[in-house]
Amino acid sequence: MAELSECRAFTAPEPGEDWAALAARVLPGTPEGEAVEKLQSWNLHLFARHPRGQFLGSDVVFTAPPTA
Amino acid sequence: MDWIIRGGRIVDGSGLPAFEGDVALKDGKVVRLGGRIEAEGAQVFDATGCIVAPGFIDPHTHFDVQLLWDGQARPALEHGVTTIVPGNCSLSLAPLKAGDRQRVVGMFQQIEEMPDAAFDGAFEWRWESFDGYLAALKESLSINVAPLVGHSVIRLWVMGAAATERAATAEELAAMQDLLAQCLEAGAVGLSTSFVDVDENLMPVPSRYAHFEELDALAAVLGRYGRMLQVVPEFYATDITLARVDQLAELSLRYGIPTTFSPLFDSAATPENVPRVMARVAEQMARGAQVWPQVQTRPIDISFTFEVASLLFAGLPKWYRTMRMGAEEKIAALSDPAWVAQLLAEAEPGGNGARWAAVQVRGGVSDASLLGQTLGALAEARGSSPAQVMIDLSLQHNLEASFIAASLGHNDSERVGALLADGNVHVGASDAGAHIQSFATYGDTGYLLGHFVRDQGALSLEAAIKKITADTARIWGLPGRGQLAPGFAGDVAIFDAAEIDRCAEEASFDMPEEGMRYVRASKGMVGVFVNGALSWSKASGYADAPVGQIATQLPGAASA
Repeated sequence: MAELSECRAFTAPEPGEDWAALAARVLPGTPEGEAVEKLQSWNLHLFARHPRGQFLGSDVVFTAPPTA
Repeated sequence: MDWIIRGGRIVDGSGLPAFEGDVALKDGKVVRLGGRIEAEGAQVFDATGCIVAPGFIDPHTHFDVQLLWDGQARPALEHGVTTIVPGNCSLSLAPLKAGDRQRVVGMFQQIEEMPDAAFDGAFEWRWESFDGYLAALKESLSINVAPLVGHSVIRLWVMGAAATERAATAEELAAMQDLLAQCLEAGAVGLSTSFVDVDENLMPVPSRYAHFEELDALAAVLGRYGRMLQVVPEFYATDITLARVDQLAELSLRYGIPTTFSPLFDSAATPENVPRVMARVAEQMARGAQVWPQVQTRPIDISFTFEVASLLFAGLPKWYRTMRMGAEEKIAALSDPAWVAQLLAEAEPGGNGARWAAVQVRGGVSDASLLGQTLGALAEARGSSPAQVMIDLSLQHNLEASFIAASLGHNDSERVGALLADGNVHVGASDAGAHIQSFATYGDTGYLLGHFVRDQGALSLEAAIKKITADTARIWGLPGRGQLAPGFAGDVAIFDAAEIDRCAEEASFDMPEEGMRYVRASKGMVGVFVNGALSWSKASGYADAPVGQIATQLPGAASA
């Protein structure tokens, strides 16, 4: 199967996950506050949405900053 | 023979060069084509000088409700569209429990902009199940239908109010899988879901509460039937769309299913969007995934009045809130200087009204000299601002002044033409039957064949026809449709290649209780056959021919 070029990394929230839980999963070893802050800054489409900061099950959550 | 379509130039949908000859139809199917065909007793349709092509297939429509009182899906049929796919964007009218109808009506009204009367008295709700809905449709169906089942209604059926609250339990997932299987057995062409749509309260539709594992579980069922997954991605954000392409590819490869996302727009504001998305699609297609981006042919135009909440204002909360008020409250708000000051601050940040300057006055005004004038020009003449002029004209005309924001995007013919010709692009995304008070969603095929084939030369006539017939039938798994060949359905579009196009957009009051919608008549279309019956002709208009079928089944397998 052909290789894929590198793309911005993302994940999907798991049932019951909030920002802190998701940050602990995708950025282990990073202090919670820092990890959450990073994730929120990479995911303004979610953080700035109403209701503020809550995940929907189908959301795409980026785990890396924008490349462009 | 029942019909001989005489003397046309046949473009059979295969992509091969056109050829001269007759087409013979019998018992709803094509039986012969090419050369001179003679048959005693057959009716003859004169196609001299015309193109004879397979009927077009529109893969993204919202005719779910309209089909219940208009089995011809007007005016789609007169544009040569003989098969439609309703049920997109996570919404269908079945399966749906009686107690949940109002919730789904609200979602439909948000998307389709249909009046209350469309749901209240225009038809009789007699079904809850998917096959019950199909039975109701088939009573007066004059066009073929390949219906999607909506993820939001499946979720609502199984989870009730919790559909917009939480993840599904294992038991609920299993129930959704069973329900989807029942719908596919009944004739559904696949499942639709949405990552962006909202209900009438601007809250996310149920499908958006589903975790990926739920979509995966439903895709597994689609895999058992080889059926389609359609999604509405966050098309306004490139990185998110790329992520959706990867998710769809994952499901396509895992379960061997086709997937499609719509829309994909070209925009001067984000010119990198289409190249990046198409590059990712090409990579995934090369791996064997089926991820089809749907691209519409027409530029984006939005017409609006202050009478209804246009999607043009969806990104301006203060305006949208105002537009959703009742008429008296709205007029009072628009007459309140403090309220208007807030509106202007939102619409024209920093006093910059450039966004509205090119909007034109379309109608509903007493002074005809205003028609066609831009808000920018009127603002300059009045020493005002474009948004203020829009408010003033609306107030002066009891909210009936209408405006058009033209060419908002997807309007660079060279770029869009190249995109439409791309082998990985699925021509579709018309949204026919939706947004009916914002723009006309009919005639995209005429625009493809007129503007991009004849006028721009972006793709050959044979290639364009293939994209809207045989390719669509293959992508969606519609057996016996999309080609003119012996044994295939007698779905035929006959048109003048020199004339084919779409007519100007106009307001029509043909919704229930004279509700308004924007429509476009066809131009250059001469005749349309559905399952071997002449269903529309330029000479005689619409025929009473309830011959439509459920297009997931072999032609002739279902009687309408």
